[in-house]
Amino acid sequence: MYEEPYKWVEAVGNRRQYLDEQFKQGSPVVALVYDTGILLLTVSKGTPKLYEVYDRLALGGMGHPADLEKLRFSLLEMAHVEGFNRSPSDVTGGRMVKYGIAPVIKQAFEEIFKAPFIVKILLAELGQKAGKDSLLVINYDGTFEEGAQCAVLAASRPVERDMVAYLKQQASTPPSLEQACGMALRAWALGDRSQRKAGEDRSEQNPATTESPAAIDAASLYAHLRDAVAEKTVECALLDRNQPGSSKYRVLTPDELGRLLPKDIGVVFS
Amino acid sequence: MRIQGDFYQLLKEQGYQFGASAVAGEGRDFMTATTILAFKYRDGVLVAGDRRATAGNMVMYDRTDKVLEIDRHSVMAIAGVPATAYEMVRVLEHSFKYYRRTQLQELSFEGKLRAVSKLLKDNVPAALAGTGAVVPVFAGYDFQQEAAKIYFYDILGAEFEGVEYAVSGSGSPTIRGILHYLNTWGGRPLAASTEEEAAIQALRLLTSAAEFDSATGGVNRETNLYPIIKVITQDGVRVMPNDQLKRLFESEVVRHV
Repeated sequence: MYEEPYKWVEAVGNRRQYLDEQFKQGSPVVALVYDTGILLLTVSKGTPKLYEVYDRLALGGMGHPADLEKLRFSLLEMAHVEGFNRSPSDVTGGRMVKYGIAPVIKQAFEEIFKAPFIVKILLAELGQKAGKDSLLVINYDGTFEEGAQCAVLAASRPVERDMVAYLKQQASTPPSLEQACGMALRAWALGDRSQRKAGEDRSEQNPATTESPAAIDAASLYAHLRDAVAEKTVECALLDRNQPGSSKYRVLTPDELGRLLPKDIGVVFS
Repeated sequence: MRIQGDFYQLLKEQGYQFGASAVAGEGRDFMTATTILAFKYRDGVLVAGDRRATAGNMVMYDRTDKVLEIDRHSVMAIAGVPATAYEMVRVLEHSFKYYRRTQLQELSFEGKLRAVSKLLKDNVPAALAGTGAVVPVFAGYDFQQEAAKIYFYDILGAEFEGVEYAVSGSGSPTIRGILHYLNTWGGRPLAASTEEEAAIQALRLLTSAAEFDSATGGVNRETNLYPIIKVITQDGVRVMPNDQLKRLFESEVVRHV
């Protein structure tokens, strides 16, 4: 059935369509560099979406939990064996992605008789010095790109672009942790709202519209949050440069989140 | 199915070997030229060690850290062959982290003790050959029992709980007696002492060990070299700063005649 080249291309095209569909209901993930580290934030229902990978590496994921677990384990295995046999400073995000999971994801995506990974991954790496942080985003087809100040995962490219534009417009220099928490949560709300809207628009046969970052007001985002966060959990983790010891990953406790997230949202976070 | 989250197993599957003997069965004396000690005090456990590394009658190094942090809540103090001991610490450090990161929970204190035993057991051939004997003291905070605990081992990997204190190394016979005396007739048990009182005792004990054991390094005030003292409480492992040790040593340990 796929022996002719154009049919293979068609099959891969179908795969894209199928995968795009799978992420529609997903919760976006936001990663943002703040003054002493990197913040990762998402809103999850039940299964966590943010994980510690290595001393200076953290992972955020979107997609099928079983696929995410599989890739998370291969990252963990690779990072720890490498860190033990060489040194922890040789375990870099770039190497983990380029020689580790990106080829695996690409291969699974193109082997059209097998199931692809339904997963998008964000890998955050805390640099040894400020300004050396890196944020890598890997798509379901194995393509990846690197960002410096912020990176996001969302259902589609246009939504991701909106979220990044919003984050960039909010601050030019690295914000404080408290500011970063607010920014990340608003960017999440923006992404989640756009995703839902895109779903509704499509059912009405209208093309998706993008919002200009300047026209977005916090109040409307908070209003969306009040609806969206009900019965879900805000998940927030840090790669904190000031954390003592070699492991820099830390999950923010509900108490800390309550203090750090903007007060004017009017949502009680659990 | 293999045990989940076992880094040591993963290493072995990749061909890693720990504790292979260099020359099988040629039993020599076990060299443990060191003094390490651990005892409980009011807020947790204090672990201390001298800083000398020797090879036969030669002093190799005077700035060794023998009290090694494995994670935020546990340390291993080492006596024996440094190469094996450091390798053990590296394996343990990665094992505990790997477990936490894969299983999304901390390895229990008992699990940590087992991991140390397992390494020592695998190290028996090297220990018997005389190339890799290690006799560690492991101390950490047990969150399930809400208490800091001390364990010591023999070279075959048997673990024993040091209810009040534990010692190891060539200088340990000297201070074992002192610890027993202090704890039994010292006015009040060691476990009731404050952090500062505990640190003073540790400095005095290590100075006594250095007095009678040539392989234990004492305090060298000229080069500002003091023993390593770490405390483990519910909040984690903390290193006592050199300045504080210097102050305590000068006011409480040195005898002005």
